Amino acid sequence: MALRNEILLSVHDLKVFFHSDNTVSRAVDGVSYDVREGETVCLVGESGCGKTVSALAILGLVPQPPGEIPGGEILFKGKNLLDLDEEALQEIRGKEISMIFQEPMTSLNPVFTIGDQIEEAITTHDTVEKTEAHRMTVELLTDVGIASPEERMRDYPHNLSGGQRQRVMIAMSLACKPDLVIADEPTTALDVTIQDQILHLFRELKEKRQMALLYITHNLAVVAEIADRIHVMYAGIFAEVGNVEQIFRNPCHPYTMGLLASLPSRARKGQPLYSIPGAVPDPAYKPQGCPFHPRCPYVQENCRREFPEMCDFEDHHFARCPVTYRQRKGS
Amino acid sequence: MMGVNEKRGSAFPEGGVLETPKKTLFQENWGLFRKNRLAMAGLMIFVAFFIIAVTGRVLTYGRDPYFNPALVRLQEKLRPPLSKPNLETLKPEEVPRLGIYLFGTDDLGRDVFSRMFQGSWVSLTVGFVAVGIAVVIGVFLGGIGGYYGSSQINLGSLLASVLLGGGIIGILLGGTAVGVLMVLLGAAVAAVLIRMGNSKAKRPIPMGFSVLFLNLFSVDVLITGLIDIMLCFPSFFLILTVVALLPASIYTIMIVIGLTSWMGAARFVRAEFLSLREQDFVTAARALGVSNWRIIFRHMVPNAMAPVLVSATIGIATAILTEAGLSFLGFGVPPPDATWGNILSNGKNFLFDAPWLTFVPGVAVLIVVLAFNLFGEGLREVLNPKLRER
Repeated sequence: MALRNEILLSVHDLKVFFHSDNTVSRAVDGVSYDVREGETVCLVGESGCGKTVSALAILGLVPQPPGEIPGGEILFKGKNLLDLDEEALQEIRGKEISMIFQEPMTSLNPVFTIGDQIEEAITTHDTVEKTEAHRMTVELLTDVGIASPEERMRDYPHNLSGGQRQRVMIAMSLACKPDLVIADEPTTALDVTIQDQILHLFRELKEKRQMALLYITHNLAVVAEIADRIHVMYAGIFAEVGNVEQIFRNPCHPYTMGLLASLPSRARKGQPLYSIPGAVPDPAYKPQGCPFHPRCPYVQENCRREFPEMCDFEDHHFARCPVTYRQRKGS
Repeated sequence: MMGVNEKRGSAFPEGGVLETPKKTLFQENWGLFRKNRLAMAGLMIFVAFFIIAVTGRVLTYGRDPYFNPALVRLQEKLRPPLSKPNLETLKPEEVPRLGIYLFGTDDLGRDVFSRMFQGSWVSLTVGFVAVGIAVVIGVFLGGIGGYYGSSQINLGSLLASVLLGGGIIGILLGGTAVGVLMVLLGAAVAAVLIRMGNSKAKRPIPMGFSVLFLNLFSVDVLITGLIDIMLCFPSFFLILTVVALLPASIYTIMIVIGLTSWMGAARFVRAEFLSLREQDFVTAARALGVSNWRIIFRHMVPNAMAPVLVSATIGIATAILTEAGLSFLGFGVPPPDATWGNILSNGKNFLFDAPWLTFVPGVAVLIVVLAFNLFGEGLREVLNPKLRER
């Protein structure tokens, strides 16, 4: 359904490792996905499963050392971003790919007015007149729904509420009309009503500006709202890939099933909430075989030994679980 | 119904936006600062000193100054403060402008008031210029040390910079042939590094050149090492040595004091940067494609300035003291220009005959240094919220 457009970003078998004293944390362990023009792709997963790191790797913001990108490629408009040097990356950051961070409280520089900061985002990549930058800033702030933008421009970040700051961050990320916006849990730090407003804003802006969105979150409700394609991440790999309908109606990986079963809306009154037993493995000491097998209710002998293949369940719906695949297709 | 709407209209002017009284950061800090009486006193003395020094510059320098600090009246020597000049022995242009010797005269009959007036300008400029130099060096080195701390310096870069720097110094000192040779060698090494150093280009480095890319130590080790070495020297004696070797002038002293007192600022900035560089807004700025230099000097330095500002204020007091100390020892500003230090130094020979010659500059130094310290302490309390309201 959403596969109509040109591929904008294509990540192949990306690996990001972090070295500490004697151990290697395999934070991202071979993920592949495409983002097409105008599409919203979601990476969903628990804390520490490698969502943010895989996004930072796209912009070359993984600190090296201790980080290392031992393999894979990130093709953006045909260029491999991993081969570019710092200067070439600076050209792309903000101009073609921009990023919105989780914490609006700390992502704005406390000593400058927000007007200054948005104007800087504009003038970093385009040489424009001061008055023109001012006009564009007002326009951006209006676009992201900030009331009386002329006045707010003279405010410092501490004068604004969390929702307003996140709107400002969004305005900054849109300043150079990027083709791809990476949003790293942009609503996590906000309360539910503001979260809803921001999600609406994203949808509106996406329509208006024809940009692609790579949306990272741990919140399944958010995913259901905005995603075209969903990638469920677990311990640095993709457990399941599909569109909203496929993932929510017909989950094929036991991890996805567990996640959906633990949503409060599915619980019956008076019953304790379901939770997946166990905890996410330490990225430095992942279990052999399928990384989910210690927590999996359907675990079989093979799962402990062999790393599972990606299985093609139906039209563009993949899950890394041969056990369910055999169950559904075999019999 | 109408009444309700009107009421709303008055409570929420401009279409529902409620205006709250707003204070800028400066107003907020000023409000806090004003409560601290000692700091306010310090600030007032600071402002007064500033005005006096600037007027002193205008009124005591030049060919025919309003107050002439260098005018010798041998017949009027060692007059005590507030004494009247003997009008019979003086030519009309030799009579002090105030009609009395406010602070007395020294052993050559020079008016101590005029000399103090002139000296205040020297103290002010020494304080500000020296601390200015120290802050610039400190912020630069501390910023680089804090931001690029873990980057490695390789043998090639070190070799290139030593050769280039040494060559330029060589040329300046007269060894032109050797200097040019060193500069050329350094440039060659740098060119090799740039040609092959592009780590993203996955070309193998030819044999023999790989030694140039041997990592020696990190930037942080270099800069903290430099700070520690500079702190090891007893700085007053270092200054004495340097001043003894270089031609005596007020500018030499400013520069030397500045070059030997940047370590505090560098340490503060480095420490601030270590925590600032992990902040989200730095990552956010990088994600927007802002260059590293711009991030350091535009985004991070303003956030790290609070402790530097405080130490700079106190540093001005220290620099004034150092200059006075140097002048007292005779290494300072050469005569006939007056500074508080050399008035004091001159006065010590007449400690019992003319105590005002030591008392007046001594008290002036005391007041100014105390004022700067109080002001600095007040500033520290305002800028560091943890110290407030205690």
